[in-house]
Amino acid sequence: MLFLTTVGFEPTHVSISDPESDPLDLSGTSPVLLLIKPTMDTYTGAIKPEIKIDELTSERVKFILTNTDLSMANALRRIMISEVATIAIDIVEFELNTSVLADEFIAHRLGLIPLDSTEAEKIKYSRECSCQGACKECSVELNLHVRCTEEDTTKDVTSRDLVSNDPRFTPIQDGPKDPGILIAKLRKGQEIKVKCIAKKGVAKEHAKWSPCAAVAFEYDPFNKLRHVHYWIEEDEKKEWPASKNAEKDFPPGEDEGKYIFNNKLTLFDFTAKPNRFYFEVETIGSMKPEDIVMNAFKKLLEKISSVQMGLTTNDISITGRDQPREF
Amino acid sequence: MGKKTVTFADDKTSENVEKSYEQAKRTTATEKRITDPIKNVEDKWQLLPAFLKVKGLVKQHIDSFNYFIETELKKIIRANDMITSDVDPSFWLKYLDIKVGPPERPDNDHEAHQSVFTPHECRLRDLTYSGNIYVDVEYVRGKTRVIRKDTIIGKLPIMLRSSKCVLSGKSESELAKMFECPLDPGGYFIIKGTEKVILIQEQLSKNRIIVEGDKKGLVQAYVTSSTHERKSKTYIVAKNDAKNDKIMLKHNSISEEIPIVIVMKAMGIQSDKEIAQLISGGNQTFLNMFSPNIEHAAKIKIFTQKQALDYIGSKVKVTRKIANVRRPMAEEALEILATVVLAHVPVVDLNFQPKVIYIAIMIRRVLMALANENLVDDRDYVGNKRLELAGSLLSLLFEDLFKKFNFDLKLNIDKLLKKPNRASEFDAHKQLMQHGDCITNGFVRAIATGNWSLKRFKMERAGITHVLSRLSYISALGTMTRITSQYEKTRKISGPRALQPSQWGMLCPADTPEGEACGLVKNLALMTHITTDDEEEPLRRLAFNLGVEDVSSLTGSELYQPNSYMVFLNGLMLGITQQPTGFVKDFRSLRRCGRISEFVSIYVNHHHMAVHIASDGGRVCRPLIIVESQIPKVTSEHIKKLKQDQMKFTDFLAQGLVEYLDVNEENDSNIAIYEREIVPQTTHLEIEPFTILGAVAGLIPYPHHNQSPRNTYQCAMGKQAIGAIAYNQLRRIDTLLYLMVYPQQPMVKTKTIELVGYDRLPAGQNAIVAVMSYSGYDIEDALVLNKASVDRGFGRCQVMRKHVALMKRYSNGSFDRIGDPPVATELQTGPSAERFSILEKDGIAGVGERVSPGQVIVNRHTPTNLNANIPINMPIANAPTIQFTWKHAPLSYKSPEPGYIDKVCITTTEQEQTLIKVLIRQTRIPELGDKFSSRHGQKGVCGIIVPQEDMPFADTGICPDIIMNPHGFPSRMTVGKMIELLAGKAGVLKGELQYGTAFGGSKVEDMSKILIECGYNYSGKDYVTSGITGEPLSAYIFFGPVYYQKLKHMVVDKMHARARGPRAVLTRQPTEGRSRDGGLRLGEMERDCLVGYGASMLLMERLMISSDQFDVHVCEKCGLLGYRGWCQHCKSSKFMVTMQMPYAAKLLFQELQSMNIVPKLILEEF
Repeated sequence: MLFLTTVGFEPTHVSISDPESDPLDLSGTSPVLLLIKPTMDTYTGAIKPEIKIDELTSERVKFILTNTDLSMANALRRIMISEVATIAIDIVEFELNTSVLADEFIAHRLGLIPLDSTEAEKIKYSRECSCQGACKECSVELNLHVRCTEEDTTKDVTSRDLVSNDPRFTPIQDGPKDPGILIAKLRKGQEIKVKCIAKKGVAKEHAKWSPCAAVAFEYDPFNKLRHVHYWIEEDEKKEWPASKNAEKDFPPGEDEGKYIFNNKLTLFDFTAKPNRFYFEVETIGSMKPEDIVMNAFKKLLEKISSVQMGLTTNDISITGRDQPREF
Repeated sequence: MGKKTVTFADDKTSENVEKSYEQAKRTTATEKRITDPIKNVEDKWQLLPAFLKVKGLVKQHIDSFNYFIETELKKIIRANDMITSDVDPSFWLKYLDIKVGPPERPDNDHEAHQSVFTPHECRLRDLTYSGNIYVDVEYVRGKTRVIRKDTIIGKLPIMLRSSKCVLSGKSESELAKMFECPLDPGGYFIIKGTEKVILIQEQLSKNRIIVEGDKKGLVQAYVTSSTHERKSKTYIVAKNDAKNDKIMLKHNSISEEIPIVIVMKAMGIQSDKEIAQLISGGNQTFLNMFSPNIEHAAKIKIFTQKQALDYIGSKVKVTRKIANVRRPMAEEALEILATVVLAHVPVVDLNFQPKVIYIAIMIRRVLMALANENLVDDRDYVGNKRLELAGSLLSLLFEDLFKKFNFDLKLNIDKLLKKPNRASEFDAHKQLMQHGDCITNGFVRAIATGNWSLKRFKMERAGITHVLSRLSYISALGTMTRITSQYEKTRKISGPRALQPSQWGMLCPADTPEGEACGLVKNLALMTHITTDDEEEPLRRLAFNLGVEDVSSLTGSELYQPNSYMVFLNGLMLGITQQPTGFVKDFRSLRRCGRISEFVSIYVNHHHMAVHIASDGGRVCRPLIIVESQIPKVTSEHIKKLKQDQMKFTDFLAQGLVEYLDVNEENDSNIAIYEREIVPQTTHLEIEPFTILGAVAGLIPYPHHNQSPRNTYQCAMGKQAIGAIAYNQLRRIDTLLYLMVYPQQPMVKTKTIELVGYDRLPAGQNAIVAVMSYSGYDIEDALVLNKASVDRGFGRCQVMRKHVALMKRYSNGSFDRIGDPPVATELQTGPSAERFSILEKDGIAGVGERVSPGQVIVNRHTPTNLNANIPINMPIANAPTIQFTWKHAPLSYKSPEPGYIDKVCITTTEQEQTLIKVLIRQTRIPELGDKFSSRHGQKGVCGIIVPQEDMPFADTGICPDIIMNPHGFPSRMTVGKMIELLAGKAGVLKGELQYGTAFGGSKVEDMSKILIECGYNYSGKDYVTSGITGEPLSAYIFFGPVYYQKLKHMVVDKMHARARGPRAVLTRQPTEGRSRDGGLRLGEMERDCLVGYGASMLLMERLMISSDQFDVHVCEKCGLLGYRGWCQHCKSSKFMVTMQMPYAAKLLFQELQSMNIVPKLILEEF
């Protein structure tokens, strides 16, 4: 059972603590943990989770999350994929479309164009907005009007042709030379005129709201915990190339295979728990990679605090499962 | 990491190989050749695209049609060129020439329309793509001879891309201007707007002797003779038992079997010795076997030709209509023997010798088969088959129609000539012009319905044509290469269905349907060509020049000399030769240097001591590289020239580097598949082994690693895959059009894919597949889809459906019209206003509008009274003044799913009626139950769509698009799919496409090397983490891209439920089928379950109350049904009771009463 003690959030580390009274927690005895110098929380004395950033570019962030439980780390990953709010085109009104592509086709392509969502927090979800339909508070209007007038060539309609009515939320562009994302190609005389309404949303609803492309997630690259059963023909080391994170991990030491549990020698410490997680988050461009992580942490905290709130306010003792629920 | 750490080749074994090689070198040191490095011809597959440019795939249809137009039409005209009159002996009409013009618009009278008549216009306007048939005639008018040129006698549907088609020889941009797809193969017809293919028909070869035996010991030789006038089948039957060992001749025109010796005597061979010699040729065994026949003839006292003819004459079936001129029976017999029996053997001036020899050969073949039962022919052998193509089928039809045309013309001319005094001079030309519809309609009807009825052969064949399936590009190609046979589908015969070894390289071994037509419907292989007829006369002359001794100068004993071989040309005997090998060799070298057609085949049959030359049409053949003294004639230099466009495929033929072999000649050759297999006996080298597969099976990567039925399944499924159809797909208005939104070319291609253009019109997407179990919603081949992939466009497709409204004109002068949309203020708001809301001012729904079920697309009105006739002689000017009343007959949208108006086409048909076609589009996102399949016959439906965060992912964060259950592999044994995944993964990592061509393709070893170089495990397995727990899966997962096809079967088209709904009129039971919103039937077996369970009240509910319950009034006294409490039988209402029964039961009672059976109901309290 995890309890959140520090709600204050700092960019470089998150503090989530384990009450020492928890009898199930064996992390204190884990040899893996002993190898790392744990940072103690000065207030509660618990071990503080920590983030170490390995690499940060405009496209990706690589970091190591330590001193936390697997469930927390995976929750972070899941939230980054599906619950970080961004802005994406949601409603498309076609005024004119004489291109070869069907309306739904273009609408779908428009939806997938990443819009700059750094300030997505400043906008409301349209379901939470008091307006009917869409308003400035909960949506952004983008207009697209392109007509091809050249002979014998096609004109590319790209995300650069989208004109946003809110400078905060524009289609992303990687420098002035970026040709933009292709939406359609027009021949002479063809024309597209649409009004798009972008809304805030999460990827749970539709993947177009996902800020990240791929989230790599790994722990224990040396398989010290024996979570993986290697499929081998002859030699494990030859046949299974180690992951890049192996450089940052601690290779199995001399004591590998010499663990004592209940006075018996065991091959490995099967009570050990993972606590070092390697992340790599790649953005699709709508958000800075670090923002994705930050927003995900916020979301995670929100979730955990709502659980905590629920537990404390309702004052229900959690002794057993069979207690009748009261509402 | 991990570079060069894995050893692939076993060093030990390679050492062994080395050793044995050294040994071989030493022992065969004298024969230098064996150790010479084998010179491989680099890229000899380049011959394939060169071949496909000139021949192959669909070209045979086009070649056959061109041959029909250019040669066969003229031959038919020449054979039926005179029309004379029974009335006026001085009148005659002669056809001089015939030609077919370019396709023409039927309503071309408006001169304004100057544009070309394109096939696409035909598709859109429901027209027939046909050209005029012009003839030049010479005839007598009055007392002068007149020549008239270019008279139209009818219209002939033109095959697309044939020499008469406007598309032939056009460049891609010119085709684009005509809205035609450059990848479209052509070879089909457009009849009233639908694309029709004349399927290739498989038949036993005509005019060839086939000997067959059965288990009872009956041996028979038969020939299907086919000439322009006649088709007949002649049997020579022998029973191999003690009692009845006579050989008989059987023919349809003779009522019973005739002893063969009598037939020969009737043909003028009166001497028994001569007969014996012709048959046995001095061979004692055959003489002994045959002698009872001669004895039998003597026994029934038939010695002379006259006696024999009388004997046969008494047995001849007289079917003649003109029985008034009763001829002597002997004469009848003579005519039948000369013209009907073995009709293809010519009898000139009653010289029966060729026919006698032919019969003798047939008898000898029977005797040989009796002596050695291995000498019967295999009917299923592809060399004994002929493929009939569009051209020959059309020429059969044309000859029939043309004869009918001439017959009608003659009748008409006679009728006119009979009239004693005419106002103007009689001009036959006018008559000629009037009968055009006969030929035009004959063609259109035959191709549209597929019923080929030929009067002169009394032939009636159905299902000759198919609608060209435009489901995907591959299905269109598939219909073009399809071959059907005439065998009955219902019969459980295995022989014709089995895979024939002689099919190798000619017919695809994988592409055949499952089920009843399995093995009967076949497909052409990639390099097959089908021959057209070739002139016989030059070949005959050539054969004689090469030393063949003419038959007419030979006696029986000379025929069967031990070292002389008989020479046959298209089944007819030419003569004999003493040096068969030399003769064949000379003949072949003449063919290789182009002195005779490359499609003439010659081969030796040592069993029959015969050399066969074939030049007839319909033989399947394929090109092979010639090998002489162990060296292939095609060298790398030739291929280099080919690549540089300095050589064409025809040059290879002309220079004698490559030649065509038909199945029979192929069996007389020794063909090496690879250069390394060339031995001294080798005569030919295969161009590429993957050409044994057809176009459809060619899509499968690594098919040689799959279990064979899986390839067959994929061949069926590849035709159902949704993808791109043609470059003009968005211009088409088809009844049903399936398009994929984002089709991709496969990561793992094959050579065939590039050759047929599948990479440009693909039908599928490269999905990242994880082979693992997930969620339990993946059992029984179900697939797990990634929701994010689906959101991003995976498997998304568009379905377009055509809705047609024809504005009819009626005989009373009234016509359909399009009404204005109802004014909004006049309608009450609500559902009725909603119905018309998408109509524009012209009464037709606007393009881009969303159509909901029930909404009106075309607001059509029809006149209420179609019978109110306008007086016939009323001037047209007054017609509009007549007031018609109109009623609503709108075209409304019926599908349960809403769609969007994609296109509206307003045009006129041939009959000047307005035709409105509305195309309605739906965009479909994959959902639960949609069917997908890989290219290995592994189909599955979507079982669950899982959000991305729950999907397992590789250490790089890659999520699969599809999770496939590993249980699909062990029993299916589709190793090809695994290799595809491996090659695909290597290709993705390296950034290039890989090849999975049959019997070749990228090697697993190389693929593994690439994977290792990129830091992956060589087996294609990945370390995968569960998305739900974050823990890695304890097993490694086979993970990589596999090409997946979305199949046309989607749940939205199938889902169906009904509470209440329409009922059938007669029985009042719920209708049947989804399209009629029918009920779900509780069938017999389900009923049995309920009966067994004892749930009788449930039965009552299901079978009566929920179906066709009906209140009947029954008279308890008489037991008959009454009506409204009145019994008409008892004339009383005293004993009437009401009860419920199924309406069908009541109907049954009434029907029984109508046939004098009186069912009576005896009622009891319940």
